[in-house]
Amino acid sequence: MFEWLSNMENTKPLALVIFFISYVGIVWYVVANRKRSQRLESYKNIPFQEDDALKTQDKVEKNG
Amino acid sequence: MKLTHESIEINAGLMVALVMLAITIGGLVEIVPLYYIEDTVEKVSGIRPYTPLEQRGRDIYIREGCVTCHSQMIRPFRDEDMRYGHYSLAAESKYDHPFLWGSKRTGPDLARVGGKYSNAWHTQHLNNPRDVVPESIMPAYPWLLKNELGYSDVADRMRALKMVGVPYSETDDEYVANVKQFGEEVANMLDINRAEENLVAQAQSQNYDGNRKRLTEMDALVAYLQVLGTMVDFSQYDEGYFATFR
Amino acid sequence: MVQGAVANTQYNYEIVKKFAIMSLVWGVFGMSGGVYIAAELAFPFLNFDIAQITFGRLRPVHTSLVIFGFGGNALFATSYYVVQRTCQTPLASNWMAGLTFWGWQAVLFLGVLSYMNGIVDSSKEYAEFPWYLDILIAIVWIAYFAVFLLTLLRRSQPHIYVANWFYLAFILATAILHIFRNLSVPVGLFHPDSYSVYAGVQDAMVQWWYGHNSVGFFLTAAFLGMMYYFVPKQAGRPIYSYRLSIIHFWALSFMYMWVGGHHLHWTALPDWASSLAAAFSIMLLMPSWGGMINGIMTLSGAWDKLRTDPIMLFMITALSFYGMSTFEGPMMSLKSVNALSHYTDWTIGHVHSGALGWVAMITFGSLYHMMPRLWETRLYSTKLVYVHFWLATIGIVLYISAMWVSGIGQGLMLRAFDQYGNLAYTFIETVSFMHLPLVVRMVGGMLFVSGLLLMCFNIYMTIRHAKHEQKAIEEAQLAAKLARAGV
Repeated sequence: MFEWLSNMENTKPLALVIFFISYVGIVWYVVANRKRSQRLESYKNIPFQEDDALKTQDKVEKNG
Repeated sequence: MKLTHESIEINAGLMVALVMLAITIGGLVEIVPLYYIEDTVEKVSGIRPYTPLEQRGRDIYIREGCVTCHSQMIRPFRDEDMRYGHYSLAAESKYDHPFLWGSKRTGPDLARVGGKYSNAWHTQHLNNPRDVVPESIMPAYPWLLKNELGYSDVADRMRALKMVGVPYSETDDEYVANVKQFGEEVANMLDINRAEENLVAQAQSQNYDGNRKRLTEMDALVAYLQVLGTMVDFSQYDEGYFATFR
Repeated sequence: MVQGAVANTQYNYEIVKKFAIMSLVWGVFGMSGGVYIAAELAFPFLNFDIAQITFGRLRPVHTSLVIFGFGGNALFATSYYVVQRTCQTPLASNWMAGLTFWGWQAVLFLGVLSYMNGIVDSSKEYAEFPWYLDILIAIVWIAYFAVFLLTLLRRSQPHIYVANWFYLAFILATAILHIFRNLSVPVGLFHPDSYSVYAGVQDAMVQWWYGHNSVGFFLTAAFLGMMYYFVPKQAGRPIYSYRLSIIHFWALSFMYMWVGGHHLHWTALPDWASSLAAAFSIMLLMPSWGGMINGIMTLSGAWDKLRTDPIMLFMITALSFYGMSTFEGPMMSLKSVNALSHYTDWTIGHVHSGALGWVAMITFGSLYHMMPRLWETRLYSTKLVYVHFWLATIGIVLYISAMWVSGIGQGLMLRAFDQYGNLAYTFIETVSFMHLPLVVRMVGGMLFVSGLLLMCFNIYMTIRHAKHEQKAIEEAQLAAKLARAGV
């Protein structure tokens, strides 16, 4: 096992396996758990929360 | 702390670090080995750095953007072999700072254009391509014949190239090493201390632009074009030899 | 300028406005330059024997102005806009943001002057700037990174929205690429020329590592950031899947850096490097299409918007072209296809289906969305947006088809043999064959530029109206004040 690892030629398949596993890990992480999924999806509304703490203040300034 | 994707989303520093990790691996894996794998550059004799005049020609080639339309990289295909010659070796551009392989052939490949046409043909062609090739769409470069070649900075240019690894010589030791590697005749041309006289002498003796009285940019550019692809004598090597490096 | 505590709570829109306008200005120059050099290839007399305007010198002017002028300014504008609004905080430093603006415009202006006067690293495609401008770019970029990161750090929204991830990856990657591509030794402290520290095959690999990732991060990741904000906003509904965006963000960031070697198939680059690059190029199709699907499906259930909203039309068409060119790209990275396509106009067509179809279209859509909001007004004319859309689309289609014909045609002619095994065509015969497609390409480019000019007119009128409105309000307020004072 150790000998196989110490051979430079084998870094390519090894790297492939590592990256493939981490990729599958990410995919599993984001879709597997329903509660987590819902929580993650909730962040997609961020662009719609912006408007308008600051703008309202803006208007107050102008009118005041 | 439990690591979730939110930990990354709420921590800009962590995100920077992970993005850096993701984007650096690919470049490292592809570029670094090129410096360490011996086979990357073929072992082949005859390749030398450019003479001062050729180097000035190369500078003009870069200045005019010739590389935007002309490649210098012949691929190992039958049609390219018949049209341009033996496919290009990595070794042939090992002194090229920067490389001029190009990415587009609006005009033909120039990797082995050296010696294919006469100096007079090149001068006429560069002055107005349609004088010799009526259908050509290449721009004319009449100013090359009019502009005196600036070469007061040629020693500085060679010094800069020496700093990035081109074996031009400045000290005696370096000169001796060059004699050993390239032979005396070439080593003399690579001597920075004699750069200007070498440049003038080469232009005088070859008379690239057909006018001995003036040293023009045309002299330099044609000198460069005429050396392209001529350094390796392919008759010395077996057909299969270069394939072992690919 | 409002002073004191109030200033701290207001978004910095001034800087966004400046960048947005300059994006259009450089866009007009860069794209017109492109049309001109396209015309030079079809009608070489247009070089007029003037050194400064020959094809070789104008080509980097065209590429730099459209990538860094049009695209770069649009990215500065939208990233400053998006980061402020999604973090609900003003920019961290207005003076540094100002530095990025003036620094960037100086780089572009001096770059054009340098190129035309022959001070150019022409073999470093898309990094042709002379060494002193490279240093200026590095300074601007560090300031950009600082502004962006510090703004992220002072956000009042706990989460960093996905658009900002893409902008962040773009800023980081561009910094690395720029610095390592441009390592070189100047001839002298006061000499404009320099020589790359890399030679031959290494220089080639560094170049296409840089070149392809400029496409990957500058022209793709960053514009995906734009997409992740402006498509949902324009559609009025959140992005299709946040989880998909997580997957495709990390996959895209990781994989793009591997693919540059596919520009060097069959060259003196060792086979393993270009094969590895080709393998990753094929895999890259997945994260690319992840982004496309995420964008297009945002509209799922509201497709009727495409009938009434030309801005949405721009965005969805942009995503479609993105999908198309990210399919064409991996295909061209196959060694057998590349043997034919490389060195020909097919590559030029492919680049433009991405650059015009994806980058420019998503930018037009985003600017049409953003600019009226910056000036707190409405777009002058929606009809003109429709006209612009059709001019742009027809222009692109003409452009790409012409390049397919001339590229594939030339590739096939060059490898054709006659019955005796000799070459069937000389090189110059292929040049003659390409004349007609080159003319068509020029016409396509002209249509595209005229669309952009219409947009400039539309935006100009929009801003003018906004200023009138603003003035009217101020006058009314003043009148009211005077009236009160009178009483």
